[in-house]
Amino acid sequence: MAKETSKLAKKEERMAFWLLVPSLLLLLIIAIYPLGRVFQLSFTNKRFASSQQVSYLGFKNYSQLLSMTIRELPKKLDDDGKAILKDGKVVYESWVRVLPRKPQRYKAVNQFSFLGKRYVLGATNADFIQSIIDTVNFTIITVLLETILGLIIALALAKKFIGRGLMRTAMLIPWAIITVVSSLIWEWMLKSDRSGFFNAFFDAIGITQGNTVFLVDKALQLPSIIAIDVWKTTPFMALLLLAGLATIPKELYEAAEVDGANKIRQFFSITLPLLAPTLTVALIFRTLDALRVFDLFQIIFGEKRYSMATFTQFTLVANKDMGLSSAASVIIFFIIFLFAMFYIRTLKVDADG
Amino acid sequence: MKKFSLILLVILFGLATAQQVTINYVTGNRGADVEYANAMAAKYMSTHPNVTIKVLQGPESATDRAQQYLQFFEAKSSEVDIFEIDVIWPGDMAEHFIDLYQYESFQDAAQGFFPAIIENNTVDGKLVAIPYFTDAGLLFYRTDLLEKYGFSSAPTTWAELDNMASVIQAGERADGNQDFWGYVWQGNAYEGLTCDALEWVASSNGGTIVSPAGEITINNPNAIAALETAKGWVGTISPPGVTGYQEEDARNAWHAGNAAFMRNWPYAYGLTLDGPVGENFSISALPSTEGGNSAATLGGWQLAVSKYSKNPAVAADFVLFLSSHEGQLSRALVQSNLPTRPAVYTDPALLNSDVAFMANFLPVFRAAVARPSTATAPNYLQTSKLFYSAVHNVLTGEESATDALALLELDLQDLTGLPIAGQ
Amino acid sequence: MVKKNIFLEVLFYLLIIAIAIYLIFPFYWALISALKTENELVQTPASFIPNYPTLINFKAVLSNPDFLRGMVNSLIIAVTTTLFSLVFGSFAGYALGKLRFRGRKPALYLILAMTMFPQVAILSGLFTLIRFVKDIPNSVGFLSWLYIPTPALLIAMYMIFTLPFTVWVLTSFFKGLPQSLLQAAQVDGATFFQTFWHVLLPLTAPALVTTGILAFINAWNEYLFALTFTLQEPSSRTVPVAISQLSGKIARQEPVGEIMAGALIITVPLIILVLVFQNRIVEGLTAGSVKG
Repeated sequence: MAKETSKLAKKEERMAFWLLVPSLLLLLIIAIYPLGRVFQLSFTNKRFASSQQVSYLGFKNYSQLLSMTIRELPKKLDDDGKAILKDGKVVYESWVRVLPRKPQRYKAVNQFSFLGKRYVLGATNADFIQSIIDTVNFTIITVLLETILGLIIALALAKKFIGRGLMRTAMLIPWAIITVVSSLIWEWMLKSDRSGFFNAFFDAIGITQGNTVFLVDKALQLPSIIAIDVWKTTPFMALLLLAGLATIPKELYEAAEVDGANKIRQFFSITLPLLAPTLTVALIFRTLDALRVFDLFQIIFGEKRYSMATFTQFTLVANKDMGLSSAASVIIFFIIFLFAMFYIRTLKVDADG
Repeated sequence: MKKFSLILLVILFGLATAQQVTINYVTGNRGADVEYANAMAAKYMSTHPNVTIKVLQGPESATDRAQQYLQFFEAKSSEVDIFEIDVIWPGDMAEHFIDLYQYESFQDAAQGFFPAIIENNTVDGKLVAIPYFTDAGLLFYRTDLLEKYGFSSAPTTWAELDNMASVIQAGERADGNQDFWGYVWQGNAYEGLTCDALEWVASSNGGTIVSPAGEITINNPNAIAALETAKGWVGTISPPGVTGYQEEDARNAWHAGNAAFMRNWPYAYGLTLDGPVGENFSISALPSTEGGNSAATLGGWQLAVSKYSKNPAVAADFVLFLSSHEGQLSRALVQSNLPTRPAVYTDPALLNSDVAFMANFLPVFRAAVARPSTATAPNYLQTSKLFYSAVHNVLTGEESATDALALLELDLQDLTGLPIAGQ
Repeated sequence: MVKKNIFLEVLFYLLIIAIAIYLIFPFYWALISALKTENELVQTPASFIPNYPTLINFKAVLSNPDFLRGMVNSLIIAVTTTLFSLVFGSFAGYALGKLRFRGRKPALYLILAMTMFPQVAILSGLFTLIRFVKDIPNSVGFLSWLYIPTPALLIAMYMIFTLPFTVWVLTSFFKGLPQSLLQAAQVDGATFFQTFWHVLLPLTAPALVTTGILAFINAWNEYLFALTFTLQEPSSRTVPVAISQLSGKIARQEPVGEIMAGALIITVPLIILVLVFQNRIVEGLTAGSVKG
C-alpha cells in the first residue's frame, strides 16, 4: 500500500514537472539574462551607451538613492529672538540651511508638522523618494477605487437585464483602448483652456472660469492621473470579479432566500467568501501592475512628476546613468516584493498543496 | 587642396567600388520626409551604382529617437550608418560618431554653413555632425490686432510686448472673447522651456546658463530679473495653463485666434496660413531688454556618421550630398525645412518660390543662440533638466527666482564639476 | 411591495446608465474629435457635437500603409501570445492547482516574481539579448538557418507579462474544482490528457475566456517593447507604435484628429472580439450552476 502511494506521488511529481516546464523554461530563457544584468550593474557606475571605464561601486548607488534624513525646521527669529510672523502665521527657516551638504547634498522632499514642530524630509535623491511616495499613493488609491467600483459593476452585470450583453462589451472599452491613445484622449479632455472638455464643462455650469491647469497644479496632478487610471482599469477588475461570480452556484442564493436572509446578508456570507480567491488574485496583480505604472506617467507627466518606473527610465535615457537606474530597479523590485508578501500573508493565500 | 580631396575621394571610391556597399540611413516617420529621403537616395544611387542606400523609418519624436539611438550605441550595432541627431546631442553622443574633419571635403564644406551651428557640432575639435536643417525661436504677432489697437510695429523690448499684449487682451476680452490671451509660449517642464528661458535670459544680458568657455554663469541679477518678468506674465498676459504648454498647445491657442503674440518655431508659419488667422500675421525677432540683444534659441537637426559603421567614407559622402546647396534648396522648396547654408537664403530659386518668406528668417538665424550642450557634454540633458525644473518652479510660484537660481548654480556644479563664474 | 420593487428597478437602471456614461464618454469624446477638422479642435469652448463633421481624419489613417500593416501584425502577435499563454498557463495552472509536489510554492513565487520588475528595467538587457539572437545566423556558421523573425521574439517577450497572471488565475480556478470529478475520471481509465481536455477545460471556461481576453488586450496594447524592437523593421510594427508615430505634415505637429480616428479604428475589432466571447462567460455562468 505504501509503495503504491509513493509511486502515485512520484507520478504526480513527474507530471507536474512536465506541465510546468514550458512556462518556466520560457520565463527563464527570456528573463534570466536581463534580470541578472540589472542586479550586476546596480553595483557599478556603468553609463548607458558609453565607453567609459566601468568600475565597481559597492553599495554607493543604493546609498545615493535611499539616503534620507529628517531635520527640524526652526522658526525664523528676529534679532530679539522672537518669532517672525507673516500674515499671522509663523515663518520657518528655509530647508537649504538645515539639510546637510557634505559629503552629499540633501534636497527637500516634503515638509510636515508633528506635535507642533515643523520637520523637513530630506533625501540625496529627492526625485526618487518623491516618485516612491507618489507611486505608492497612486497604487493604494487606484486599487481601492477600482476594486470597489469593479465590484459594483460586476454585481450589477451579474443580474439579468435588457442590454446586458451590450453593457458587458461597453464595460471593456476603457481597458481595450491602447494606453497611448487613452492617455492622449484624457490629456486632450484635461486641456487647460476651454477647448478641453472638463474646463468647458465646469465653465458652462459655472464652477470655474475654464482655466484650471489640471496637469501642472501640484494638488490636481495625482487626482487627475488617478481618475484616468481608474477609468481605464476598472474594467479589468470588473471582468475578473464577474468571472469569479460566475462560479458561485445559484443554489446557494436560492437556499439563502428560502432561509429568509436578505440581500446584504447574502452578500457578506455567500458572495464575498466565495469570491475571495478571485478577489485575492485580482488584488495582487492589480497592485503589482499599479506599482509598475509607466506608460501613463510618461505620456501625461513626462518629467514633471515621476512614477518609480518613469524615474528609472529617465535616469537611464536622459542621465545615461545605467548603474543608478539598475539600482533603482532593484529597489523597486523589493518594494513590490514587500507588497506581494503583505498580501500573501494577510490574505492567507494558500500556496500549500 | 580641393583637388587633393577629390582625388582622395576617388581613390576611396575606387576601393569601395570593388564591392556593393549598403548604407542604412535612419530618418523620422513623416511620410513626406521619408519620400524626400528616398528621392535623394535614388539621385545619389544613380551616380554611384555600387552603393545601395536604405532609408529606414525611425520614430519621430526627439525623445523616442534618443532612446533608440542609445540602445544601438550600447550594443555597438553597425546596423545604422547615418543618424539624424538633434542640435543638442553632438556633445552627449560625440563618442559614437566619426570625426567628419578627417575628410578634406568636409573641411572646405564647413565654411558654407552657419558658423554657430558648426561650432555647436564641434566637440574637442572633432566635427561630429554636419548641419542638416535648422530652426530658431520666432515671435509671431497678429498684424490685424496691432493695427486695431494702434500699434505700428512689432515690439522690440519685453516691456513693450507686455504693454501691447495687455492692451490687446483687455480689448478683445471686452469685445466678448473670454478665451483671448496676449502672449502664448512654451512653459511646460521640458526641453522646450529651456529654449524659451534661454531666450529670456540671453536677451537680458544674463548669459547662456553655462558659457562656451565652461563656466556656470546662470546665477546673476539679469537672469533673475528675466525669470521674474516671465513669471509676471503667467496669469496676466499669458494663460495660467501656459506652464503646461508645449509647442502644439501654444500653436492651438494661436491657431484659434486666441492670442496676440506667440513664441514658436518656424513650422507654425505655414500651418497658420491654412487656418482662421490666415494672412493676418507676421514674424519678427524676439524682443530683448533695453540694451540687450534679441536671442533666438537654435534648434534643428544634423547628420552624423556612426563610428560602428562598416562604410564610414561612403556614408560621409552621402551626408555631404544631402547637405549640399542643391540638397538644402530642394528640401526648403519641397519640405519647408530651413536650410543651414546662408547662401540658400539668397538663392533666386528660393526667393521666387512659395517659401520666399524664409529669407526673413536669415537675420534671426545669424544671431541664434545655442544651448550649452557642447560646454556641458556629456551631461547636457541632465543640465537642461535642472535648468527647466528650476525655471518651472519659478513660473508656478513654488520658488523665488533668487532661490531657484542659487540652488541651480550649486546643482550644476555638482553635476558637471565646472567652475562657477567669478569664483 | 410592488412600489418598492419598481423604485429599486429604476434606481438600478439609473446606476447602469451612470456607469455606462462614465465608461463610454471619453470614447464618445474621441469619436467627435476624430470627426472634427483641426480648426474646430482648437476652438474654445469645445463643441459637444461637431459643427462641421468631416471624414478626412479617417481617410488619412486608413490610407496609411503603416497603420494597416500594424493592425495585421498586432492581430497575429496578440492572438499567438494569447493562445500560448492559455496553453502553457492551463498546464501550469493544473499542476499548481491540483497536483502535490515539492517545489510548488517556489514555482508559484518564481512566476509571480516576473511581474515585480518594471518593464524598463529589462529592456536594455533584452535589447542586447535579441541582437545576439538575431546575429546567430550570421556569426555561427552551422546555424545560418536559425533566423527568428521579430514578431516571434515579441511574442516570447509578451508572455513574460501575460503568463504569470494567467497561471495564477487558472491555478486558483483549478483549485476550486472539486477533487471528486478528477478522481472519477481517473478511475474510469481516462488518460491525463483526456481528463484535461474533456472534463477540466470546459469547467474552467469562464476563467479561460477571461484571462484570454485580458492577455489579448495586454499584448495588443503593449508599446515600449514593440517600439524598441521594431525600429529597423517598419514591417513588423504593431498598432500602438504605428499610432504613436502618426505625425502631421510638418515637424512638431501632432494630428490629434488623426490619432483619435486611428484609436477608434483599432478599438473596433476588440469590441467585436469581446461581443463574440462575452457570451461564453454567460455559458460559464449556466454551466457552473448546473454542475452542482
